[in-house]
Amino acid sequence: MAEFNALIHQPVRLRIMAALHALPPEARLEFGRLREMLDITDGNLASHLRKLEDAGYIQVEKTFVGRRPRTYIAITEAGRQAFEAHVEALKALLSWEEEE
Amino acid sequence: MSQKPASPITPEEARQALELIESTSRQMRRLAAYGGMPYFLIVWGIVWVVGFSANYFVSDPGTRGMIWMVLDTLGLLGTAYVVWHIHKSGVHWPMGPTLGWFWFAWMVYGALFVHFAQAQGTQLSMLISLWVMFGYVVSGLFYRSRVLITLGLAVTVFIVVGYMALPAYFDLWMAMLGGGSLVVAGVYMLTAWR
Repeated sequence: MAEFNALIHQPVRLRIMAALHALPPEARLEFGRLREMLDITDGNLASHLRKLEDAGYIQVEKTFVGRRPRTYIAITEAGRQAFEAHVEALKALLSWEEEE
Repeated sequence: MSQKPASPITPEEARQALELIESTSRQMRRLAAYGGMPYFLIVWGIVWVVGFSANYFVSDPGTRGMIWMVLDTLGLLGTAYVVWHIHKSGVHWPMGPTLGWFWFAWMVYGALFVHFAQAQGTQLSMLISLWVMFGYVVSGLFYRSRVLITLGLAVTVFIVVGYMALPAYFDLWMAMLGGGSLVVAGVYMLTAWR
C-alpha cells in the first residue's frame, strides 16, 4: 500500500534504504562501504542508522573479524515494506501529476 | 479528475527522490552483483563452450586433456579473483563460509565418484556435468536465487536429453546448450541489474 514516510524520505536515509533494499536476500553491507557510497562522515551515518534502527527498519550487527571490529547493516522485513510503500507513494504522486 | 495523493511534497520532489533511489539501487546492485554469481557463470560458461568444443573437434585425447587442464586452471583463477572481489566489496553473506565448505565437500565427493565410477568418454562428461549442475542448484538454494536454480535444472535436462538422444553429438550439444546457457544467464543477470 502506498504510504508517504517522512522518516525514510530524508535524502541520506532514502539512499541508505535504497542501498539496503537493493541488496540480495540474506546479504548485509559493511558500515565502511556504506559510508563511502554515501560520502558522509562516520558520525553522520551512525546518527541516521540509529533513527532507522529505532524505527525497526534496519538491523545493525557488530562483530569481530579477527581482532578488527566490523559493523554490518541489513534491512528488516518491516523496513522493506515501509520502503516499498514509500516508493509507491512517490510513484502515485507522479502518476497523479501526469493525469492532471 | 482523480484526487491528489496525500503527500507533503511536490511531484517534482517525488521525481528527484525516485531518481535518487534508482541511482543508489543501481550502484548497490553493481557492487553486490549477487556475490559475483554472474561472473562465475560467464567464466565457467566460457570454459564449457571451449572445453566441450575441443572434445568434439580435437581427436587426440592427450590434447583434449591438456585443453581441459588449462581451462580449469583459468576457471579456478577467475573464481579466486571473483571471491577476492566479493571480499573487498563490503557486501557480506552470512552463508558464505557454509557455501565455501559445501563446494569443498562437493569437489572431494566429485573426485571420489569420478575415481570409483570407472566411467569414460561421453559417460564421464555427462556425470561430471550433472554433478556440476547439482552444485549450482544447491548454491541457488543457499542464495535463494531462482535464476541459479532454474539454470541448474534446465541444464540438467539438456544434459540428460543430449546424452540419451544425441550421444554422438553430446559434446557439441553441451558446448552450445550447457556452456551457452551459463554465459547467457550470467550476461542476463548483469544486464538486468544495471
